[in-house]
Amino acid sequence: MIEFEGVCLSFGAVSVFEDLSFHADAGLHTCLSGLSGKGKSSILKMVQGFVVPEKGDILVDGLELNPENVKAIRSKLAFAPQNINLPVKNGKELVELIGEDLSEDLIMRNIGFLGLSSDMFNRSFDEMSGGQKQRVVIAFCLALPRQIVLLDEPTASLDDESIDHLIRLVAGQKGKTIVSASHNQKWINSADEVITL
Amino acid sequence: MIDIEIVDLLIGFSILVLPIIVFLYFRIRLIKDLLVSILRMIGQLFLVAVYLEWIFEKNNAWINSLWVVVMILIGAGTVLKRVKLNWKEYLFPFILAGFISMIIIDSFFLGLVLKLDYVFDARYFVPISGMVLGNSLNHNIVGLSTYFDGLSQKRELYYFILTNSGSKKKAILPFIQDALIKGLNPLLANMSVIGLISLPGMMTGQILGGASPVVAIKYQVMIMLAIFVGCTMTLVLSVLFSGRFLFDDYGRVKEHGA
Repeated sequence: MIEFEGVCLSFGAVSVFEDLSFHADAGLHTCLSGLSGKGKSSILKMVQGFVVPEKGDILVDGLELNPENVKAIRSKLAFAPQNINLPVKNGKELVELIGEDLSEDLIMRNIGFLGLSSDMFNRSFDEMSGGQKQRVVIAFCLALPRQIVLLDEPTASLDDESIDHLIRLVAGQKGKTIVSASHNQKWINSADEVITL
Repeated sequence: MIDIEIVDLLIGFSILVLPIIVFLYFRIRLIKDLLVSILRMIGQLFLVAVYLEWIFEKNNAWINSLWVVVMILIGAGTVLKRVKLNWKEYLFPFILAGFISMIIIDSFFLGLVLKLDYVFDARYFVPISGMVLGNSLNHNIVGLSTYFDGLSQKRELYYFILTNSGSKKKAILPFIQDALIKGLNPLLANMSVIGLISLPGMMTGQILGGASPVVAIKYQVMIMLAIFVGCTMTLVLSVLFSGRFLFDDYGRVKEHGA
């Protein structure tokens, strides 16, 4: 589903990847693990076309990542960042912002799976803790009708119990390809494939 | 209208003694700046008076239009300098935005509202275009700074919406909304208190020139509407026209500094 072949990436004089090759298979959860600064988040950005490597090929669902295909590739992706300041008040407004034809019931069901009450969907983000907000955003991204879901440090603000809930929810995403970046051991253990950077 | 003789004008300048005493007393180093500003004001307005006398005398559509085009160019240049954008890339989009909004505003207000037989009449075309351009300038600077700075500083938000919606239009929407709100809010606030805490310059000028207050008010309302619409149009068009230079082939936000 996602293939990296001979990818070289550097930021200025700092080389991040010299020859990175891996693939994430369709329908599985692939976790990118490694210490901070190893380039886990950069890989997720490269998949979305927000960071472009100097060399190498990236294929997403058979499409080569280039300016011509980037729009088609993004239409297959959902992305939940580690933390983000959203310009909307709550989950309901987030749906309006993204403007996708997606089921609010599904988001609320996901929110319930993540151990939160379904009224979190309408609750102001300002009143939520970092962990609650992250879980609402993940619930939203998993409800988007996309084949591939990218999760950047999904357990960053979560306690052990919440991580268990998230592992169960992700495991139940049949047919979706999940690619996550994390250094949480419990989360890494739950993945179908692990790529250590 | 009573003319001001040169001697009387000089007497008028003598009132500056009061702020100069204040500056001296409180040891504020503003006297030099004050004198430079006043000299610049006199020089610029004198030149404008000479130009306008000539323009009014000729009253030629091409000369009048050229004058407005020069104002649009200076306005676009000022915006670029203040928002700190790359001249090569953004000058043309901003000029085009100013040009189109002036065509809309002048055609509508001079042609349709005032029903002028000759819309390029220097007496109306030049001052009304100038007022719209001049008054829109600061609001455009605020709005465009908000837009460009927002996209630079909140790239993660833009990328989040771009990936999850798959639409650049949706991804830039919050930034356009923010730019319009921040750019136009002061103008709305100004409109809502006009006449209460300030008497607008155009209205005051017309009354001093002998026009009836009712006529002066009608012109003032019209010019406020023209400024608001002109500002909105210039802001939105500048944002739309600059998109080609702001984003790269991957839809990423480029560095746009001068």
